[in-house]
Amino acid sequence: MEHIIFTTGLCKNFRSLTGRKNVLALDGLNLAVERGEIFGLLGPNGAGKTTTVKLLLGLTHPTAGSAELMGIPVNNPESRRQVGYLPEGHRFPGYLTARQTLSIFGRMSGVRSATLKARIPELLEKLRLTEWIDVRVKKFSKGMIQRLGLAAALIHDPQVLLLDEPTDGVDPVGRREIRDLLLDEAHKGKTILMNSHLLSEIELTCSRVAVLRKGKTVAIGRIEDLTRTESQYKMVASQIDDRLLDVFRESGAGVNCQNGHILLSTRDVAHLNTLIDLLRAHGGLLSELTPVRSSLEDVFVDLIQTGEAGKKIGVKQ
Amino acid sequence: MKVLCANIEEVFREAAARWTLIAYFTLSTFFILIFAFAINLDIIDGVIAGAKIFGQAVQMGRQQVEIDSLVLGFESGFSGVLYVVGIFLAIFATSHLVPRLQEKGTVDLYLSRPVSRIGLLLSRFIGGLTLASANLVYLIGSIWLIVIWKTKVVHPRFLLGGAVILFMIAAMMAFAFLIGVVTSSTNVSVMSSYAIFFFSSILAAHDRIEAAVASEWTARTIQLLYWIFPKTAELGQAVVVAVAGNEAPGRLAESIGIAPFATTAAFGLACLALASWLFQRKDF
Repeated sequence: MEHIIFTTGLCKNFRSLTGRKNVLALDGLNLAVERGEIFGLLGPNGAGKTTTVKLLLGLTHPTAGSAELMGIPVNNPESRRQVGYLPEGHRFPGYLTARQTLSIFGRMSGVRSATLKARIPELLEKLRLTEWIDVRVKKFSKGMIQRLGLAAALIHDPQVLLLDEPTDGVDPVGRREIRDLLLDEAHKGKTILMNSHLLSEIELTCSRVAVLRKGKTVAIGRIEDLTRTESQYKMVASQIDDRLLDVFRESGAGVNCQNGHILLSTRDVAHLNTLIDLLRAHGGLLSELTPVRSSLEDVFVDLIQTGEAGKKIGVKQ
Repeated sequence: MKVLCANIEEVFREAAARWTLIAYFTLSTFFILIFAFAINLDIIDGVIAGAKIFGQAVQMGRQQVEIDSLVLGFESGFSGVLYVVGIFLAIFATSHLVPRLQEKGTVDLYLSRPVSRIGLLLSRFIGGLTLASANLVYLIGSIWLIVIWKTKVVHPRFLLGGAVILFMIAAMMAFAFLIGVVTSSTNVSVMSSYAIFFFSSILAAHDRIEAAVASEWTARTIQLLYWIFPKTAELGQAVVVAVAGNEAPGRLAESIGIAPFATTAAFGLACLALASWLFQRKDF
């Protein structure tokens, strides 16, 4: 697979002018994001999420390690040719209208004026800003500025999107529209890396995530892998009685009855299959068996509080 | 080229939105209108027969004043005034360009585009210089045309003065950009640029200052500072000389050589190079 975003041992150490204060914002980040992926960066404040994005864009220089965008080192401005960026708390010049803003930033991305004439109304319509096309940005609400920021990130039809809190300040309807738009872009083969504090947004949008804590990666992988509670399954079946539950317990399984189904804690997949065999031998019919998952929030809080380092699930390098 | 055009457009839009552009051109227009309507000359056979300023007749005496000499005298003197006014207005109108670019939440939007940092900084510099040039062309061009209209004397050397003024504006703007990159403060940029303008004017008398100071070390420092800083006083004289041509006072014309231009250009280029280097290394 083609790595669109690739970092190796990326470090950033912020030093004060006198050199007395050192802050290690990022400590050896290894990341490989493939084409068409929506990748989420999670972490508490100061975890290194924004620093990662800034390093990828060359806004900040790495202390060690390297980073590439579409195979081009990030210190080369050409690496940003196919990148759209939505910074957190961005401030467009208030004296420009939405049209002028997109025109100026579009041309700075190398888009021809003739192309922009057609692309600007089209994008603003997609982001429900058509009526505001010739209104100065200083009159925009926070949500509208955020949507305009997204339009500016998309103006040159980039292959990679780096989004820092893309739904910040946007109402629930707008959030859903942005989510749909991002999923649509990913279906078109665009690669998206996003930071967000809204874990529900990440859960609904991203295919893979990395959790950062104090500049280190504490977990990386697919959301379903991260949220799966190891060896816990929900079983719905007929003919479940106390005798069968005792048999399950005797085999070493943890058993908990809840609202007509049972929660089974097993040693491994082989143990799970043994339990299914025991059910069938008892004359029971299995109608549902699903792995139990935690919410991403549970996983996130657990990872951040315990600081469990090195939990890497399904890492693709 | 697209990046340069986009930056120039933004500089002009910002200047318009902040009323800088309007104030800049309104002041210039006011100046031009006063000049156009206040002075009325009565010229007979190339000699001024009578003159009125604000409708009041000016006593010409018995001496005959040739209109060519009058125009030359006026234009060379006036270009000296324009030198100071033009530089002050240009610094005031462009010093915010770098500090505003470096604001949190703004700089990310510009630097995330496929443009090198040096390219971005230089395109802002060219944008600022274009703004200053536009006003200078408007001011000097209008006065020149009014002089032609009132006196029928065409004196193209007046326009040459504008080129020297623009040269000095570029050097001062480079310094303002350097301070802007370092401090990210518009106020500090404006104040530092004005300070260096006055300080370097004082250094024009470095010979006399060096002779007056007791310590040799101080004298050498003053001499060094003189050669480092832009030659604001000398280039002011150069504007007058450029406009007056052969009619310039001999003492003034002799004092202007290539050195003030070369050292001022070196100062501007050094400031711009240092600003670019620092901007390139900055973490945002």
